[in-house]
Amino acid sequence: MSFISNSAGSFFNRSLAQMADLRAGIERQQTQIATGVRIERGSDDPAAAAQLRSIARREALAGVEGDNAAQLDQDLGAASTELEAVTALLQRARELAVQAANDPTGVDGRQAIAFELEQLSEELFTRANATSLTGEPLFAGLSSGTAFTRDGLGNVIYTGTPASGAVPVAPGTVIDRGLPGNAVFEFVSGGTPTSAFAVLGGLAAALGGGSPDPAGAANAALEGIDAALDTAGRAQTIIGTRMAWVDQVQQQQDTRGVALAERRSRIGDTDIAEAIARLQQSLTALEASQAAFTRVSSLSLFDALR
Amino acid sequence: MPSAIFTIGRSGLTASRLSLELTAQNVANAANPDYSRRSLTQSELVMTGNIGIGASADSLGGVRPGVVVRAESALVQRQARDTSSGLAAAETEFFAMREAESALETSGLFTGLVAFEAALTRLEGNPLEPALRLSALESVRTMAANFRVADSTLANARSLVQDEAAAMVPDINELAAELAKVNRDLVASREGTAGRAALLDARDKALRGLAEEFGIAATINANGTADVTIDAAPPVALVTGGVAASVNLAFAADGTLAFDIGGTAFAPTGGAMAGRAAALDQMVGLQTGVDSLAASVIAIANTAQSAGVDTDGNPGQPLLSGTSAADIDVALASANGLATAPAGAPAGSRDTGNLAALLASLGAATGPAAGADTLLLGLSSRVSALDTRREGLGIVAASAEGELLRATGVDLDTEAANLVRLQQAFEANSRVIQVATELFDTLLGLR
Repeated sequence: MSFISNSAGSFFNRSLAQMADLRAGIERQQTQIATGVRIERGSDDPAAAAQLRSIARREALAGVEGDNAAQLDQDLGAASTELEAVTALLQRARELAVQAANDPTGVDGRQAIAFELEQLSEELFTRANATSLTGEPLFAGLSSGTAFTRDGLGNVIYTGTPASGAVPVAPGTVIDRGLPGNAVFEFVSGGTPTSAFAVLGGLAAALGGGSPDPAGAANAALEGIDAALDTAGRAQTIIGTRMAWVDQVQQQQDTRGVALAERRSRIGDTDIAEAIARLQQSLTALEASQAAFTRVSSLSLFDALR
Repeated sequence: MPSAIFTIGRSGLTASRLSLELTAQNVANAANPDYSRRSLTQSELVMTGNIGIGASADSLGGVRPGVVVRAESALVQRQARDTSSGLAAAETEFFAMREAESALETSGLFTGLVAFEAALTRLEGNPLEPALRLSALESVRTMAANFRVADSTLANARSLVQDEAAAMVPDINELAAELAKVNRDLVASREGTAGRAALLDARDKALRGLAEEFGIAATINANGTADVTIDAAPPVALVTGGVAASVNLAFAADGTLAFDIGGTAFAPTGGAMAGRAAALDQMVGLQTGVDSLAASVIAIANTAQSAGVDTDGNPGQPLLSGTSAADIDVALASANGLATAPAGAPAGSRDTGNLAALLASLGAATGPAAGADTLLLGLSSRVSALDTRREGLGIVAASAEGELLRATGVDLDTEAANLVRLQQAFEANSRVIQVATELFDTLLGLR
């Protein structure tokens, strides 16, 4: 006697396995919806998980680079403000020099001008040693000490470094932090290297009685003041260009941030609409298979025999 | 002869009652996974009535209940055993490796490295800011701690697998001893009895139990006993007749499993034990990977430190101590000691040349962040592949199991039909006896 028998045990095993599969799928979909994340663990989708890791790293670094750019913008803004003040100051010094070069100005007048020039020179010294919001010197290059100091003879000397460091603001993009003081306040006038401090100080001393021909000295100083104005103006332009660059980089950072977020969302986030539809589908399938199981499992001949 | 009718009816009654009993036994064991359905053979009983030549017709004797036959299919049994070995190997390996994956993913190995990189990049913006320096140093501390967490969770995953393996060894030896005892009993048992069928059930159950843990080659002898050899390199005998060998398990220094039977070392090729052994072998690789990552971070950080100067212009001191993931720790006492400036820079230099060099080696394509990513990618790809294999083998094993149940399991519909048929046969036989009685009464009543 041979016929195909369908063992009761195998029917129950099969039904149980199918329902367990459906239930596991439903739990997974439910987790995906609740957490909003499609990938629970790396092995769910190894390639996507690796991409998510690289995006997470890029995002972490982009956040920091954004902060760096914002701070750089602040520092450059502070330097620009100082340079504006320096330009105004030098212009005032030039007016005074022109005034002093005029013969009608008497000794008292020249004394007054000398006094004002000394004050301006002091202000210039202070501005040259200005610091950023975080207390770092603006024109000292890589040094954290003061940019300019006075030696024993009262001469102003640059004590910073001839280069200023650069800050990474985007992958592969570094922008110089500022300008070193020697590029802002030191220049060559009449073939000799000098500085704005030396020009103003020298003129003040000449007008204060240090020179037999104060008008001539004032005339001679005009060239130096003009060179100082030129140098400060050039520095202002450089700083302004860098600020524009930082702005541009910040805009790019924003765009890239959005792109990264979109990419992360596309790779790792649950598509809620799809997940809910699939959940509903699985629920329907589970209910149907439970109902079918109850019906089929009662289809034993024992129930029919009375 | 009315007495012959009595005998015939009685033999029919006996046969159908015995068959009914077996049917009841089958129904009762419908849910018993180790039970193989039984049936009763029957043969016609014919007696010769007289001695001599040209004897008259044979006289009929009814039916003789034969032997209890146990539904058996050696091939299907073997297929079910082999597929369950394969499934057990894949499943055990999958769960163990998934444990390792969780260990490394949740330890924050990768995020720690990225946070370290980010803190250093932030420091580049303002290298002398004490708060930024402190936060960079703290991010190093976190990263080192994450390495140690990864090390200990990986060790934990490893010891879970080892404990499981150690716990299963007595079970295996118990099963082997049980099989040896069944073999001894089978030799003494009589063919065709219910007792022998029960012994054969016990034999197949023990074989299935062994196959879960080790891939086995079972030889079924003519007398029903089973000899078991473990599929391994080299193959080793576990049960021979009534004698069972005992499996020993030892752990190597790197955590891998070492099996032997009576001093003969073997490497199992199937079953849950093979899965555990394979998982532990791969965990050795993972441990090496995590350790070499830690070592490379230590080397990169300390090399960069030694190439630069700290805020006071002094040469940089080592940032990290230790040699592996287990003992990596921060060695630098103060955040001022971070050598952001290159060698030769004066005290208080805001030069970030050395910091940039450190960042470049950390973020390089061969750097630790990329290394951690590769390690995790390799591991999760492996787990994903194991999952796919497990699913495939699960289907194969389920169909082999279904095939086995079809061949040997109890089908309630068949049993219900048998019940009706046998009940009718029983009633018919009792009717035969009733007819015989009436015939006899008729004869006695003749006057």
